[in-house]
Amino acid sequence: MSATGSTPASVIEESLPHQGWPASDGEELPPGIGPYKLAWRRLKRNKVALAFGGLFLAIVILCLLAPVYANDIAHTGPNQENVDTALNAFGLPKGPTWHAHYFLGADNVGRDVAVRLLYGGRTSLQIGAEATLITIVFATLLALLAGYFRGPLDGLISRAFELIWAYPVYLLGIALGVVLAISGLDLGFVKLSGNSTQIPAIIIGLIYIPYVGKAVRGQIITLREREFIDAARQQGLGHMRIMFSEILPNVASTLIVFIPLIMANAILTEAGLSFLGAGVRPPNASWGTMISDGINLLPAAVHTMLVPGIMLVLCVLGINVFGDGVRDALDPRAKIRIEH
Amino acid sequence: MQKLTRPIAASVLTLAAVIALAACGSSNSSSTATTSSSAASSATTSSSSTGGSSSGVATVVAGTFPQSLDPSIDFTTQGGEVHWLTYLGPYSFAHASGTAGTQIIPAIATTMPTVSDGGKTYTFTIRKGLTYSNGAPVKASDLTFGIERALKLGWSAASFLTSTIEGAAAYSKGTAKTVSGITTNDATGQTTIHLVSPYGAFLDVLAVPGVSYMPATTPMKPEPNNPPVGFGPYVIKNVVPNVSFELVKNPSYTSQAIPGIPAGHLNVNVKIESNTTTEASDVLNNTADVFDWGDTIPPALIQQVSGLSSRFKAVQTNKTFYWFLNVSEKPFSNQLAREAVQIAVDRPALARLGSGALVPGCYLLPPQMTGHPTGPCPYGIDPNSSPDVAKAKQLVQQSGMAGQPVTVWAENRQPRLEWAENYAATLNAIGFKATLKTIADADYFSTIETLKNHPQTGFADWQQDFPNPTDFYQNLVDGRAIVPVGNSNYEEVNDPHIQTTLDHLYPVPAAQIATVASQWQALDTYVTQKAYVVPYGYLSSPEFVSTRVNFGALVFSPLEGNDFSSLQFK
Repeated sequence: MSATGSTPASVIEESLPHQGWPASDGEELPPGIGPYKLAWRRLKRNKVALAFGGLFLAIVILCLLAPVYANDIAHTGPNQENVDTALNAFGLPKGPTWHAHYFLGADNVGRDVAVRLLYGGRTSLQIGAEATLITIVFATLLALLAGYFRGPLDGLISRAFELIWAYPVYLLGIALGVVLAISGLDLGFVKLSGNSTQIPAIIIGLIYIPYVGKAVRGQIITLREREFIDAARQQGLGHMRIMFSEILPNVASTLIVFIPLIMANAILTEAGLSFLGAGVRPPNASWGTMISDGINLLPAAVHTMLVPGIMLVLCVLGINVFGDGVRDALDPRAKIRIEH
Repeated sequence: MQKLTRPIAASVLTLAAVIALAACGSSNSSSTATTSSSAASSATTSSSSTGGSSSGVATVVAGTFPQSLDPSIDFTTQGGEVHWLTYLGPYSFAHASGTAGTQIIPAIATTMPTVSDGGKTYTFTIRKGLTYSNGAPVKASDLTFGIERALKLGWSAASFLTSTIEGAAAYSKGTAKTVSGITTNDATGQTTIHLVSPYGAFLDVLAVPGVSYMPATTPMKPEPNNPPVGFGPYVIKNVVPNVSFELVKNPSYTSQAIPGIPAGHLNVNVKIESNTTTEASDVLNNTADVFDWGDTIPPALIQQVSGLSSRFKAVQTNKTFYWFLNVSEKPFSNQLAREAVQIAVDRPALARLGSGALVPGCYLLPPQMTGHPTGPCPYGIDPNSSPDVAKAKQLVQQSGMAGQPVTVWAENRQPRLEWAENYAATLNAIGFKATLKTIADADYFSTIETLKNHPQTGFADWQQDFPNPTDFYQNLVDGRAIVPVGNSNYEEVNDPHIQTTLDHLYPVPAAQIATVASQWQALDTYVTQKAYVVPYGYLSSPEFVSTRVNFGALVFSPLEGNDFSSLQFK
């Protein structure tokens, strides 16, 4: 992270991704065992990664149960304000209580923090997942095209990657977020209003494409020179078949490793953009908007910022540690990561 | 455990970064006395006798940048308090606190004008030998140029000019090459302004920042980052858009100071801090000197700040906060739908969200303004009680507008965003499908003032420019104020009854305004009944400074806020 705290993420590829399924140092591969089964065996031995994976899963389940909590326990909605009873005469919200309603206190306009925390988690996780999907799908397709065909197409795609890469993540995110928040997104086949949560997902997804695309492209360039690809060509397989049947399975482990990394970064980026007013639009809840709302109430109502902040940290921590475990399980030598 | 170190460290750093982001902006405010300037002396300044320090730099923190630092465009409170000191017109308002601050004084004009032809002609002469900050002489014809430039660039209060001065409307539309109603003689300094019809508040208009003298060599294009040359005690320098600018004492002003308009003591560094908590904390912790009067002390600090009687005072000014309802399109083209909103708005809740500084109300004209209705609000509304949401819901059903999508336009800063969230929730509760559209503070008003955007409903406020109800009605609900750019009639209301009444009330001289108070009251009641606007309260303005500022010497104008020319250190 730079001194300004707003520099882009960058992929650190300390060693080229593997081709195939190596064993970790000193580990002997059991005969006849498949690579995924082997990875699962390794992952099962990593109790810390599994514990944090469980933490993340628990957060996901809690957030999915948000409507149940809101309707059956707190009896209020995520955007339902209650200014008269939840704020004092100066507008300060009440703190955490031992009651189902306002268990974690109220926010700046008298909404239930616990309810918004769970709904906000749904939004943050949904955006993180959608952004990850966009990044992985488009990065893979573009990397396949660039790495396999090389030539002018590779040049074009690589320059496009570099163009996006050159912009600081948050500046690009803010610029796109502000513009699309006012005008919405109208691509003809898809039309999104300015306050749709799909907009930050699309923005974040697009921003991270080069960070995956460049790494995967490099791997594909190496793969296309391998003997099994020559053999496939000799057998008369078409380009599409070679790309999707021969090359793609060989970069699958890299992509799997990237998924939790991108997801964690997407969730953090969403929080950052929402905090800066360029992500999720009010009154929709996300952990970023909740932190942003809470900031104005410091130091008098710390819970309004601390609660979503802790949830964000736990979630990202869970994904990151589990993601590291998955990476170690799939390829103990690879050191792919994204750094802010 | 090694595996855990990196992610844990990353997560902790993330949280730290979020907290650091939250606090950003609070650490770089500096108000040290780095610039020395000669002790300014003004013959008439009300604060010069208090013995404060007359050199240094005071730091003012403001929540939002002025709409433009070019006076020919801006008409905001943040811009007004700057242009009041940098671009003088023929007249100005007295640099004094309380009602004395609403008194009109001659600025570049030598004396008060001669009014003739039944109130249709104003004649005055300008002072001789005045020079702009660049040394160029101030000429009588420069006022014509200043007015033409304001009309050409879309000054937000252009209707003050287009509806009053002969030929101004034609010039504004591009059908005339000059404003024919203004004649000047540069040799004698005489200026004559012919009005279309008598206009009682015209002298006030001539004192409003924006109606100012400007050299005719000034480019006829917006110059927000390199503001034009003007005449006044201060000069705007070092503009960093949306970040900061400086008000530096005009060295040539001291020798040609105008009685009643002090030369100032301190240079002023204005910094933008969009987070009001940080803004207030900066002043509370003495890393900044003055809190912007256009902002609200946040709930988290109001109790602490309000106890500081030697540094803080809540001043009740004539400032109305309201929701505008655009009558040009559904659903607010329907009277019942508008009525429903008028009834449903939760004014006590909005008062709470405003740190308790908002006095709930239902009329456009604020309580201290002549013409403010004294009777109860229409439709049984009690501004101090919870609204009758069921009745409002019923009205929406009757109107046939239930389920209509509504976009609520709002600013980002506290408490305006919280107000808008509450308002959107209210609209949803009574049957509309409301969504928020938030715009960056610095761009908000220029966006909603662009007619083609046709904002459906949203936040608006109006701070008096002069103590006359004309100020509110001329801009906000007069159909003749509807213009493509700089349109303050956000409702796009063009009601014949309002026009007819205004035509009758506009000519009444300012000194006789009390004689038609009942007619203004009737008009204000009518506008509330028609619910073109939905006023919800009147906000007091914070006068809040650091410990090193001489609070007793600070002048707080009821029109322009903190008078920076009166700022002194102890």
